[in-house]
Formats: sequence, C-alpha cells, structure tokens
Amino acid sequence: MALMIWLTAISADAQTVITGVVRDADSKETLVGANVRLKSDPTVGTSSDIDGSFTLSVTPVSDVLIISFVGYTDREVSFSGSTTLDIELTNERELDEVIVVGYGTQKKSDITGSISSTRNEDFRDQPISNVAGSIQGKVSGIDIRNASGTPGAGLLVSVRGQFNPLYVVDGIPMISESNSSISTSFDLQGNSVGAGQNISSIADINPDDIESIEILKDASAASIYGARAANGVILITTKRGKAGKTKFNLNYYTGIQQVSRPLDFLSSEELVDLIEEARQNDYNAWLADPTIFGEDYDPALSTNPLPDSWYTGVETNWMDEIFRTAPINNVEFSASGGNEKTKFYISNAYFDQQGIVIESYYKRFNSRINLDHQVSDKLKFGENISLTVSNNRRSLNDNVYTGTVTNAIGSSPLMPVYEEDGSYANFEDYQSSWLSDNPVLSTIEIVPFTKTTRMLASVFAEYAIRPNLRFRSTWSADVTGLTDDIYFSPLTTDAEAVGGKATNSVFNQKVWLGENILTYDTQIGAGNFFTLMGGFNLQQSMGDFVSISGQGFPIGSGLQDVSSAAIVTGGESFSSGYALVSFLGRANYAIQSKYLFSLSARVDGSSRFSPNNRYGFFPAGSIGWHISDEAFWPSNFLISSLKIRTSYGITGDQEIGDFQYISFWSPVNYNGQSGLGPRNLADADLRWQANKMFNVGIDYALWKGRVNGSIEFYQGNKTDLLSDDVISGITGFSSVTRNFGNIQTTGFEFSGQGYIVDKKDFDWTLGINVSWIHSEIIDLSTDSILLSAYTDLTATHILVEGQPYGAFWGVPYEGVDPETGDPIYTDTNGDGEIDDSDAQIIGKSIPDWFGGWNTRVRYKQWDAQIAATFTWGNDVYNMIRSTYQTGGWSDYGWDEEYNLYQVYANNTHVIDDRWQQPGDETDIPRASLFNYNFYQNSGQAIEDGSHMRIREISVGYTIKPADTRYFESLRLYLQVQNAFVFTNYTGFDPEVSSTGGDNPQTAGVDYAAYPQARTFMFGFNFGF
Amino acid sequence: MKNSIAIICFVSLTGILSSCDSFLSQNSTIDVADSDMFTDAASLESARIGLYNSLQNQYYYGGYYQLVLDAYSDNGATGGYDNLDLDELGLKEASADNIYIQNVWTAIYNTIYAANQIIANVDLIEDETLSDAVRNDIKGEALAIRGMAHFDLLKIFGEHWDATSMYGIPVVTEVLDATATRGRNTVAETFTAILDDLLAAEALLSDTDPRYEDVMKGKQFMTKTACTALLARVYRANMNMPMALEKATAVISSGYATVADGALVGEIYATKFSDESIFELAFNAQDKSAFNSLTYAREDALRSEVNFLAANDLKTFFEDRTGDVRADLLDFESNDVSIEPDGRTQKYRGEVFQDNSAYIIRISELLLIQAEAQGFPAGNTALWDLQANRGMDASIIDNEDQFYSAIMAERRAELNFEGDRYADLAHFGKVAEVLGDGVLPCLPIPNREIGASGGLIEQYPGY
Repeated sequence: MALMIWLTAISADAQTVITGVVRDADSKETLVGANVRLKSDPTVGTSSDIDGSFTLSVTPVSDVLIISFVGYTDREVSFSGSTTLDIELTNERELDEVIVVGYGTQKKSDITGSISSTRNEDFRDQPISNVAGSIQGKVSGIDIRNASGTPGAGLLVSVRGQFNPLYVVDGIPMISESNSSISTSFDLQGNSVGAGQNISSIADINPDDIESIEILKDASAASIYGARAANGVILITTKRGKAGKTKFNLNYYTGIQQVSRPLDFLSSEELVDLIEEARQNDYNAWLADPTIFGEDYDPALSTNPLPDSWYTGVETNWMDEIFRTAPINNVEFSASGGNEKTKFYISNAYFDQQGIVIESYYKRFNSRINLDHQVSDKLKFGENISLTVSNNRRSLNDNVYTGTVTNAIGSSPLMPVYEEDGSYANFEDYQSSWLSDNPVLSTIEIVPFTKTTRMLASVFAEYAIRPNLRFRSTWSADVTGLTDDIYFSPLTTDAEAVGGKATNSVFNQKVWLGENILTYDTQIGAGNFFTLMGGFNLQQSMGDFVSISGQGFPIGSGLQDVSSAAIVTGGESFSSGYALVSFLGRANYAIQSKYLFSLSARVDGSSRFSPNNRYGFFPAGSIGWHISDEAFWPSNFLISSLKIRTSYGITGDQEIGDFQYISFWSPVNYNGQSGLGPRNLADADLRWQANKMFNVGIDYALWKGRVNGSIEFYQGNKTDLLSDDVISGITGFSSVTRNFGNIQTTGFEFSGQGYIVDKKDFDWTLGINVSWIHSEIIDLSTDSILLSAYTDLTATHILVEGQPYGAFWGVPYEGVDPETGDPIYTDTNGDGEIDDSDAQIIGKSIPDWFGGWNTRVRYKQWDAQIAATFTWGNDVYNMIRSTYQTGGWSDYGWDEEYNLYQVYANNTHVIDDRWQQPGDETDIPRASLFNYNFYQNSGQAIEDGSHMRIREISVGYTIKPADTRYFESLRLYLQVQNAFVFTNYTGFDPEVSSTGGDNPQTAGVDYAAYPQARTFMFGFNFGF
Repeated sequence: MKNSIAIICFVSLTGILSSCDSFLSQNSTIDVADSDMFTDAASLESARIGLYNSLQNQYYYGGYYQLVLDAYSDNGATGGYDNLDLDELGLKEASADNIYIQNVWTAIYNTIYAANQIIANVDLIEDETLSDAVRNDIKGEALAIRGMAHFDLLKIFGEHWDATSMYGIPVVTEVLDATATRGRNTVAETFTAILDDLLAAEALLSDTDPRYEDVMKGKQFMTKTACTALLARVYRANMNMPMALEKATAVISSGYATVADGALVGEIYATKFSDESIFELAFNAQDKSAFNSLTYAREDALRSEVNFLAANDLKTFFEDRTGDVRADLLDFESNDVSIEPDGRTQKYRGEVFQDNSAYIIRISELLLIQAEAQGFPAGNTALWDLQANRGMDASIIDNEDQFYSAIMAERRAELNFEGDRYADLAHFGKVAEVLGDGVLPCLPIPNREIGASGGLIEQYPGY
C-alpha cells in the first residue's frame, strides 16, 4: 500500500502548482527556509527560497498546506487549484532567523558553531566611518577599540583575542588593512619610526548599505575560510532588492563633534607658580645637600627672578587652538524593489566628517548596485558593484614626534600662535623645549592627503541542476587605487633647511577571486535534512607601488608636487603579489532539528610558502543537541529552548609578507651604481600557522523566548605562529619570519537579550554581553622578546612565556617618598641605579572583562536607546604623560647670568596633586627642575584603562501615515555619540592605541593619539 | 544529473590540476633569490655594490657607529627628546638593552654576511667574461671589508688592547643560516682572523681598476693602499708596532694621499675625495647619510633636535691648543642656548643635501700611527709635523709619558666625531680615568644577542 502511494506520487502528473512567498507577519520580511508541506501527505513539500518564495507542484486540486518555521507558529492555509499565496507567519520570538554562514545560509537553530549576528537596526544611523565601529560593544567576544579618533582611522578589532579578522563582503574577502603608506611618524632624521597612524580600508564600505553582520568566532564556523580565518571572520551582507513596490529611502544626519575629554593645562600664571615652586624646592635641596647637584647648577638659577618673558600676559590655550567644533554630515539615498524576476538595490551616499583637529577631514562618496535576475526556474544571476571615492586630509598624529597633538601637549601658554606681524610664533623663543614645532604651524604647513578609489564588484550565476542540486559560480574583483601625498612647507622645522619637501606615492591593487560552489540538499526520511557543499576557489592579488620624493620648493609658489622640487631625493617602484588556491567542502546533517552534525574541510595552497609546504589542511567538526526538543523536556518549563553544541577545528594564517620563504637580494646602490644587497634570511620550512579552537556553547531561551542568548566557553591555541623571530645578530640579521610559539587564549562569553515589556504601544528590550578573556604565551623560541612601540626607543612591551601577549615592560614605580617628595622606583637588580635593567612586566593592554549593554524603549511613536561599552582589567601605557606631569623637570635653559628662560613643558592639572610638603601622601613627585620627576618607561606611565563609555543616547519619533501614497514612514531622531566615559584615566581617552589598528603586539600605548570626539547629531530616515 | 556532475567535476579538476602549481608560483619583481645570485660576472658586480651599500647602513658607517662611540667618550654629549637609550650613551651608562648598540651590532654583522657571500661564491662563478683581475679584486675587497668589520666590532665589544684576553668577538667567516649561534673568540683569535683577511686582501687588491686600463679605483672603494692603511691600524691596536710602522710608512710614502694645507682643514669635510682621503664612504642626495641630521639638524635647532652634541669638555680641550685650526670645526657659539654649554661639530655640515661622506681612514691617522709606532723620541717629528700643519705650536715632549699624552691628544683633536675616541681611551688604558670609575672599556653585548644565542655569548663582566 505504501509503495502504491509512493508510486502514485511520483508517477502521476502534477496538476496543481502553488507558488507563494512566506513572510514575517510583523516586519513583512521574507522568511528563508520555511517548511511548506501538504497536510494530507507530509512527504510532499518544499522549503522557501532565499527570497522567501516557494513553488510546489501537487496532485490534489484542493488541500491544505502546513507552513512551519522554527520560532514561528505553524500555519495552515487551504488552496483550491493553482494559485499564488502570500503567507504570513507570526513570530513566536525572533529566535530563528536565518543567518549567513560561510558559503551559504543556515537557520540559526541549526547552527553548531559560534556565530554572532547583528542586524542593520542595531547599527544604523551612527556617525561612524568604519563599519566595525558600529558594532562596538554589541556582540560578545569581539573587542573593538578606537586606536585613534582620526577620521577614517583603523580600529583595533579582536575576535576572541585574535586581531585583524577577515572581512567578507557578500562572499568576497575584502582587503581591510591600511593601504596608505604615509608615515605620520618620523624621527629627527626624517626616517619613519613606529607604525604611526593607521587608516583602515574597511572604511570603504558604507555602513548604511549593510543588512547584517555575522561574526564567525570559533574554528568550526570560520574554518571554511581556512587560509585567512585564523583571526575570526566578519561576514558583511549588503541589502538586496525585494519584489514589490519600489521603496525609496532618504537617510540624513548632521551633527557637531567636539573633543570629548580635552586635557586641562595650566594657565600662564599657574605655570609660573609651578616653576617658582620647583625653583624653591631645588634651592632648599641645594642648601641641604649641594652634592646632589651637578657642576652645571648655580643657586642663582633658583633665586634669580624669572625673566620678563614669563610675565608677558600672553595666555594661549593650546587645546583650543588645535581642536575645533567640527561638523559631520551624511546623506544617503537608496531605492530598492523589482518584480518576481528582477530585483535591485541601488544606493548613493556622501559622508563628510571634519576632524576635531584643525585642518583634518574625511570625505567619502559611495555608490552601490545589487542586482538579481531570475532567468528561469533553474537559472539566476546577479551582480554587486560598489564604488567608493574618498579623500582624507590627514594630520600628523598618533605616535609621532612632530604631530599636532604631540606638540600641543606641553606647549607654553606664554607662547602665542602668531607673532604680532602675523607670522607663526617661533617655538624656540618660548618657554617650552618639548616642542618640535609650533603646533598650529605644523598642522597647517604639513599637508598629508590620502585619496582612494575602490571598486568591489562581483558577478554570480546560480544554476539549479535539480531543485536540490545547485551550482553557483561567483567571480569578483577588489580594485584599489590610492595616492598618498605629503608636503612639508619650508616653514616647518622638518623642511626648513631643505626648502620644503614632499613625497608623492601611488598604490594600485587588484585582487580577483573565483568561487565555484556546488550545494546538494536532501531529506532522509521525514524531518532529517542533509546538506552537502563543495567548492573550488582561486584568488590572486597583484599590487604596484610607486613613490617619489623631492625637496626644495619655489618659495611662496604654493606648489606641492615633486615635479616642482629642486632635487629628487628618492624614488621607489615595485610590484608584489600572492595567489591562493582552495578546495572546500562541508556536510551538515540535522536529525529532526534535534541532533545536529557538521563537518567541514578546506585545503588551501598559498604562494607565500615554499612548494614543499604550500598546502594547508583545515578541518573542523561540530555537533549540537536541542535538548528542549526531546520528549522528556517539560512543555511549560521556564527554559523553553536549550541547545548544547560543541566544536573543534583548525584555521590557518598566511598573513606574512610575500616571498618570505626565499632569501632574497634587493636592489641597492652605491656611488651611483646599482647592485643587490642581502634583504633577508629565509626559513625554507615556512608553513601555515594553525589556530586550533575548541568551543562549547549553550543557546537558551526562557519564557518562550522572552529572554534568550548564548553562553560560550572556548580555548584557542595559535600554534606554529607565523612571526618575526629573534635570531642571533651574528647571522647578519636580527630576525627571520618563521613558525614558532604557541599562544593560548581562553575565554568565556555571555550574551542575553530580554523583552521586558512587549505590548502593542510599548516595548522595552535590554541586551547585555560580557566576555572574559585570558591570553597566555605557552611557548616561544626565544625566552623573552622585547618590543618597542618606537623603533628607536627603549622597549615598551615584552613577549614572554606564561604572560599575556604584548605585556607592558618598564621599571616598577612605588610612589612618592612622603618625607622628601622624591619618586621611588624599584631597583629590581639591586645595583643602586634605576635604569632599563630594572624593568619588569608592569601591565597589560588586553582587558580581563569587556562587553556592552544597550536598552531600547518604544512608546507609541517614540523610541529611545542607550548603548554602552565597558572594559575591566586593562592598562594603558601613557607614554606622553611624562610630558605633562614633569613638575618642571628635565630640559631647561638659562643664559649666562643664570636667568631661566626655558623649561621642558607645560603641565596639566594632574600636577595639582603633587607632593608639596613633608607628610603629603601622593604618587606625583615634588616640583623640581633639576631632580628627576619621571622615568618614562616605568610604572609611573601605567594607568588603569578600565572604563565604561555611554556610547550612544538617542531619541526618535516615527510617523507612519495611514495613507502611504505620499510616504511610508519618517523617523526623526536626536543622538549623542560618546556621551560620557567613566574612567580614572588622565589622558584623552583610555581606549587608545597609538601604534595603530594593526599592531596588537605593541597595543595600548598612548603617545599623543588623536582624541575621540563627542558628537551631537540630528537625523531622519524617510521612506517613500 | 550524473552527467552534469561528472562534467562539472571533470572540467574543474583538469583546470585545477594543470594550473595550480604555476598559479601558485609568484615572482617578485624587486628581489633576486639567493639561488640566482653569483651565477655570472654581472651578479658578482651587483653583490659587490651590495657589500658597499651594507657599509652605508645608518647604524654602521652611515652615522651611528661613529657618533655612538664618540657620545660614549669625553668628546660627546647627547640631546634628543628624553630618549632613555640615547641619554644612556651621553651619561656613559650603557645597558645591555640599549637599542643603538644592538642595532650597531647587527649592522656590522650584516656587512660580514654580505662579504662572506662573496668570498664563498667568488671562485665558483663560471663566466668567461669575468677576468681573473676583476675576480681577485672583488675577492680582495670582500676580504678586506670583512677584516675591517671584525676589527670594528673588536674595537668596541672586545679587549683589543690585551692580546691574552678571552673577550674577543664572534668571528664569522662563513655564510650562516638563521639558526646559527656563536660564542666569543679570544682576542688573539680575532686578531688572527682580521689580519689573515687583510693580508690576503692586500695581496689581491690593486689601486687601479682592473675593469679599465690605467684608471684608479677611487677613494670610495677598498684599494690596496686602503687595505695597507687598515693593516697599520690593526697592527697598532694589536700592539705590533714594528708592523704598524711598516704599513703606515708604506702608505705615507706611496703618496696615495697627502696632508692638505692645514689652513684649509675644513675643506676635507666639505668636499669629497680630498687629498687626505684614503678610503671614504660616499653618499649623495638620493642616498643620504645620517651625520648632518644627527649632529646639526638645522641652524636654530634646540638641544632636543640634535642627538649627538659636542661635549663642553671638547671645548675646554681645544682652549689649551692655541692656533689649532681644528677648533674651528666645532661650534660652541652660534647655537641655541638650550644646547649650551655643549656645542655642535661642524664636520658634517650641508643641511640641504645631507650627503656627508663617512671617513673610514685618512692620511693623518697614518701619520699618528707612524709617530706612535716609532715611539719616543723618534716619533716626535711626525707628530710635530702634523701639529705644525694644523696651525699649532709643537707640544713639549720630554719623556715617554708626555709623548703618549701628546699622541692621545693629537688623535682626539684630529679624529673627534669619527668614532675613534672611546677605543683610543681603551688602547691607552684611560677609560676609567677620563670617563669616570665604573665606565667599562667595552660596550655590552646586546641582551637580545645573548638571549638568541642561548647564553653562548658571554657578557662582558660588569654589565
């Protein structure tokens, strides 16, 4: 009998064709993967497609369809004859969205890896150029820090402690590192030192175009991106058109930005008072024991009245001179729509952010087209094109000797910006020797620009060989054209002697990628789904760089290109590239959506490794169990849904320079002749780095989903770490790129979202996520490796076994002697002297705890949101503090009559807490010009970086007219971004990393970073 | 359906398998792999230029080597923005973590690596266009430069004045791979290696360019005379005075370089390849040296902008030397007051092009070696001749002590800011006396090196 029914089912001609779309009843969003079955014969069925549509051919002329989707209430719809249905399902609770995974989509409930997902509504309307910034604090396990407040700056993004994740935009891995070669950090010889400011090319993506962001956190989720997935993967999905009436959206915001926490410097009078106190202290100390003073000291230095230059009445607030209230504007227009066959999404956006540091700005224009066309039941194709043009007026800041902020910190308040004749004040003539230039002069007269044109384009075709066997081929290109220009006018100290200097450089990069994926779905018995995916990818990157420098520019001509230079002082031109070949496969098996299995593997071949070690194999597996679907689970239990899952997998990393496995000779010259000089020593055994991660997670829902979230525990090991290893200098080189070491990261993550009130007119949600992380270096080839945030300065960081990655290194500070006011440092080696050899580990930049919370309230047409982020247990190495807390000490100048005319730097009001008389308990030493007050690489510069930041406060009002002929919706809102920071940090902002967004080893140093802004804005979203 | 899959698989796989390996073979457009070097005469010539270029490294003869050493003597003081490692040098309190010393160490061994590559491969090249004369000349240059580099290391990291000491430096005469480590050689072993190289080189080298007929190689390259001059320097350091005298005299009498008119002593620093030059490293505006920016920076530079200053002590020193024209090469007057009481050397002026040559050896040093090797009283004449040339009255020399004091002072007057003083104080056993108790006559081996060698290299006692 069963056989007969079966035979009938497949042999009889299908007479009735039912087509339809499945939607969410509230949002009207289409639902992907909803199950559509015939009630009379549940073996006949299908599931809805990526656009929510389904087509089902059945034998009966009339019957009932059962439409089900996890997280939604089942619905029965009757039909009679061939028809088209528009089916709306009611959301039980938004538990079971479909989310994007590597090379496909999956129902959230079926996922066994660790993936965090966030939607457009969570990150829209933020005055942020970098998309990663918009999800700051909203996802557990991902720590995002603003390394610098500079417009377009790169962010320090770490997924579970691994920095620099892979960004994949609509399936295309996107180059995210800084492509700019402008060095904003020079030493006195004009050599570039330190990494300096880092701007991120991920800013080329317009956040408004993004529909959702998924973060693949564990190895089983990420390993399908094998080669580049070691540091986590961020999948970005842009908006696509939907069939129906064309929707237009106009989004606009405008706002003003101000430096959120300016430093509070002493006024002219207060500076004089401080110096007088220092002189008095010195004189008293000299009376008590003249032997501690060097031969240079004459008591007249302390007793002569200060020269007239200290009493000019000039009062310059340098913070006011270099910072400004700067506007920010963004306008975006998009249109989307189409019919059943062709759908489109187009958008144009213009973002204009003036920097809070004078002169600086970032302007970006984006245009995007996403197009889908269904040729037939079997074939569809589409194309995504995104074009970005940006112009960044940079400023020399972040880890620089001669930057705007660097110079302004410590500038004398008695120095005017301009002399009376209108020329820039000459910094040498005033009280502070710290400067390398007049801060305003160096900002205006050093002119750096980075301009980019970026195109991301991909075209795809998908062919359904059978309804359950699809082949998809995608070909994409990521093309970057970038120019970097920097000009130093002859007025700057850097270029005064040479009559101005400039560098013009051009960088072009083309990355193409071909992906071919075959996907097969089948149902094995009722309710058991099996999916198989296999693919083959090719990727190649080619880059060209040309740079030319010159000096000597026609005075007053305004010409800034090297072609105007008297002599060309340098030129450079090279090409580089790499190629990747990948094979990948994945099998998913879900038994009754209860027992879930997933296995994946990827083989990558990279040109960066020698032919013997070229291929890497990256397998992963995971299992999940929906305990709450078991029969024994009580139906009215508090915990309405519970899934346990665990995974293990390996991901790889090839992020080293090209051609590191070969010892090379590079072009050099001597005496006008060209030749070849040794460039590197190579390790021919260079191979893939392997990151192994074990993950256990629980997805839970309480009270029918009113509260839901995840708890995760993981342990990851970066093994065969690819890095520069210290080698003996007698080889002729200081380091070699090789595989060494093992870094272990252990973490715990909690996230929860609660719908506290959920009424028609009033709802209130609260979300919170907390992550704990502990990283430890398990193994290194060399006992300890000292690193410096600057190439020519004492070590600031150390890598040592048993300690976290990039621990701070310096001399421990014990405080101030209450009797004398002298600073006390730990003489670790007991040699009676305080120097580098007393250095110890004194802090770390990675927080123990971090996370965020946000709450949203909607009452009728009003909505309000507050979002916050926090960190706990991280330190900041505030290297610049030694400038503004000197108490007068260090460099000082006097004339032949022992009249003091110059000291080191102005101080901030931090100095108000200094030791002043015996018995004072403080950690800030007495004022003194001659006895040291500060040891830069010491615990004195370590500050607690723990903080809570109220990142966003917004209030909105939405109008939805009953008659939608003129418009569909209008939302007006007011927002404050970066409203408050609760912290004890004395610098601009505890969320800082002056070595930029791509230097995790030397993270957490504050060396005159471009500070963060507070932004007040007004905006609207207009849909019609 | 089966057919479709089969076709897709077949097409994909054939495409993949045939193209993967070539697809993954990327080539660098700016580098030449080790395996492609030393294949013919042209690549050998390229490696030779590379060897000279390695000397130009700013941490070797490009500036820091000489200036760090003078900062670490009574000649120098340091400025800069409170840079701890720089301050250490000025205070003569070097620690083994000092970044400058570490960079100097690696830079010199980089030159040794480049020289070893040439020495290991020069005789293996099969190319008919490569004449024996050129082959020998390049081999001689590599040997001489390797010897010189070892000596430059010994001069600062080893007890060069004591032939019986175990504190030499690691001698590297082969191409090492990344895993190599070495301990110290003894001083005697180090000198033997240096002298072997220089003597072998002297026999191979010539003053004329073997590539052309009757063309001098030029003072920017290692020549036979330069090699002989370096031998004189090394023999002197090794206290082998008869040989030092022989070599110094050979150079002086060759007429390859002559002492300039003393009144124009500034000219030898303002021009390239002056009469006094024997071997100097040439720079140009596209290939700058660091001297100018490190010692002068710009007209109104503050102390913080100049890393290496002339110590007040050097001013005092010249005050006792009436008429000495070399005092004019120092400026203690027209500086920003923040620099006072120190001053700036004017040996490296030229702020626009910053292409100052590095003197590796010049004739006046040979005259001083000659005088010292002749000893008291025979050496008086050579010393007085140089003093007369430099505008000074002859020193009164009545005994051996006065003689060596005069030699030491003369070397200071002549060679300040050329990286000589610290080793000279050690040579004469005066480090503690002049620089203060506790200042050691050798610089520390970088801690990074000791770590990387697994402790194989022994630190100098006292650090």
